[in-house]
Amino acid sequence: MSNVILFNLTTVLFGVASALYLGALYAKNEKIAGVGTWVCILAAVVSTAALGVRWYESYQMGIGRIPVTNLYESLVFFAWSVNLFYLIVERKYRNRTFGAFVMPIAFFTMVFAVYNDSSIQPLVPALQSYWLHAHVITCFVGYAAFAVSAGVALMYLLKARQEEAKISEGVVGLLPSCKMLDDLVYRAIIWGFPFLTAGIITGAAWANYAWGTYWSWDPKETWSLIVWLVYAAFLHARITRGWYGRRAAILSIVGFVATIMCYLGVNLVLSGLHSYGGG
Amino acid sequence: MADEKRTLSLMDRVWDFFISVKLAIFTLIILAVTSILGTIVEQNQPPEKYHKIYEDWAFALMDRINLFDMYHSMWFLFILVLFTVNLSCCTIDRFPKMLKIVRNPRTKLDGNLEKSLSLSDRWKRKGSLTEWAGKYAEALSASFAKPIVTEDGGEVHLYAETGVASRFGVYVTHLSIIIIFIGAIAGNVLGFKGYVNIPEGESVAQVPVRGGLRMQDLGFTVRCNAFSLETYPSGQPKAYKSDLSVIDGGREVARKTIVVNDPLQYKGIWFYQSSYGQAGGATAKVAVSRKDGTPMGALALAANESVPVDGYGVVRGVNYDQNFQGNGPALQVVVEKPGKPAATFWLFQASPNLDRQRADSLFFSFGGLSSKFFTGLQVAKDPGVNIVWLGCALMVIGLIMAFFLSHQRVWVRLAQGADGRVEVVLAGSAGRNRLAFEKRFEKLQIGVKATGQ
Ligand code: HEM
Repeated sequence: MSNVILFNLTTVLFGVASALYLGALYAKNEKIAGVGTWVCILAAVVSTAALGVRWYESYQMGIGRIPVTNLYESLVFFAWSVNLFYLIVERKYRNRTFGAFVMPIAFFTMVFAVYNDSSIQPLVPALQSYWLHAHVITCFVGYAAFAVSAGVALMYLLKARQEEAKISEGVVGLLPSCKMLDDLVYRAIIWGFPFLTAGIITGAAWANYAWGTYWSWDPKETWSLIVWLVYAAFLHARITRGWYGRRAAILSIVGFVATIMCYLGVNLVLSGLHSYGGG
Repeated sequence: MADEKRTLSLMDRVWDFFISVKLAIFTLIILAVTSILGTIVEQNQPPEKYHKIYEDWAFALMDRINLFDMYHSMWFLFILVLFTVNLSCCTIDRFPKMLKIVRNPRTKLDGNLEKSLSLSDRWKRKGSLTEWAGKYAEALSASFAKPIVTEDGGEVHLYAETGVASRFGVYVTHLSIIIIFIGAIAGNVLGFKGYVNIPEGESVAQVPVRGGLRMQDLGFTVRCNAFSLETYPSGQPKAYKSDLSVIDGGREVARKTIVVNDPLQYKGIWFYQSSYGQAGGATAKVAVSRKDGTPMGALALAANESVPVDGYGVVRGVNYDQNFQGNGPALQVVVEKPGKPAATFWLFQASPNLDRQRADSLFFSFGGLSSKFFTGLQVAKDPGVNIVWLGCALMVIGLIMAFFLSHQRVWVRLAQGADGRVEVVLAGSAGRNRLAFEKRFEKLQIGVKATGQ
């Protein structure tokens, strides 16, 4: 399967990019990070091609379907989104230190994917719906935004501790200002929240079309609601109670933990109607 | 008098409690945390299953607080009601204020306002005040928005704004939640959900709802003409298909082959492909012919069931083999004629004429095994569902308005200076995404300043 080879290459590229960004921080060398950016761009091209090839290959097998329908594909798509989201952030904020905190998320996601079954399986009848496309894509773009937010929140916590101690040396000295990090934690959530909302809605629409109930409180649905509620609480705490900085960063990380639970935990730990992994 | 004041303040305190965002954050978090419980404790399982998992005392306790059906419990409903009341009160409290601000914008850039704005610039021009006011108004129209012009005590104020809609985004979002709740309640009260199995060739006019506690009349009849199962080359299921007909007033008024993800709808009632199964055992199709080859008809033999053939005897299918003695599918039948010993022989599907050799008045041909299926249909009527979709659409629109639009305001003040020149002040502010607005303001500043130079 050539798509799997391309995905394996993507994994390596994500690993190299992560190493370069971390190395750049450690060596305080902006040039190394610059190389990291190019590796990320290359990885974006390769992984996009891999998704395309996988899609094409599924058609050749006579079971053509979008490549976002099982655990392997969803992990890959998630990593793809994180990488793209990261590149946008890097460009917009003109700062490459984020890479050291965000790209490892994409890398470890791919490593986890490699340990999962990568074969192309036909779609069971329940998954044959256009809603599937809209549902999975919106959800995973949302998840990717939350991943970026949590990575930046971690940066914030490190930076804030250092700023309190009034030292500006060491690796952490290179990180952007607390103000900027705090803003980015919020901004990523502002992108993630509407996408997650759209993801939950398309999921509900699909469920309604498949079995006549848009909401049945199954564990996956419920966890997506929990994630949604946590970020809604984040937004309100921020605008109206002035939860900036540390507390906002912690809430962002809590939200991402809930996201991971929704995405993987439900299938690996709890049971449900969904098809990813565990079963 | 004093009494009235006290009751008023109590009312005020209750009101303040219900409009507070603190309460909103609290309910959001409580909803999140309690929702987790219902994903850890499996919901709506038979009691025996719970008894296997939990000690008696734990079962009793959990049952008491409705933990086995918590999303429909009174206490969970209570949190939802609290949440809705909170949201409604908050909106009632804030919406009119916001509307007032939007309707009556501060069109004059007075000293206080100017001090509160971080983006501003000032310069002087020779010429007449009204002439410059006209030029700047045009410049603003061209590159930002058409300004409102106010003259006041020898000063001219220009005020322009864009993205007012962003102020409404939050309210659209909040309203959408209430609309979704209304839709959900309407669906629960006015609709029903049921499940029914229909064997091929049979019809239903009623479906059991509420777990079979009540029969719901459909008001028409649904017949399952046929059910079929398609598989991928690998043998995995590809599609479950039910050919359904709707019979209303004695006529077939609709017919559709439904699959998972493509239901049938008639008079607001939806039929979803949900499951299938074998209806009774399989039957063997056996064609009966006269010795000379004239067909007499066909028999459907259920396993070990005797079927009479007029003027001949009784036929019974007793055995089926997918590949009998290497000759493919075969059926073993027993023929009993009055006053004669029973005859037992095999019929091969691949050789329909072989039985002629038995030299009887009739001969039989095995046409294969056919199993009769039933289709399992989810049946739902939900008159609230479109209200829910309306709410969902509004929610997405509201979020986009709230997050990606920004209420941007720009003021210009022109005053006659002591030196005879016109003193100009330009200032601006944005409700959201200030960084982007700073850039826009910078451009505007350059453009406006260059006007008429
Ligand atoms: C899960 C339910 C809710 C959602 C999805 C939601 C959504 C939002 C959003 C997107 C904003 C804008 C945030 C921003 O500008 O950063 C907002 C603001 C706000 N929400 Fe909610 N909300 C919810 C529940 C509530 C409740 C129950 C209250 C009750 C008091 C409330 C009160 C407010 C207030 C006061 C604001 C600020 C409005 C302003 O900026 O003037 N929200 N909400």
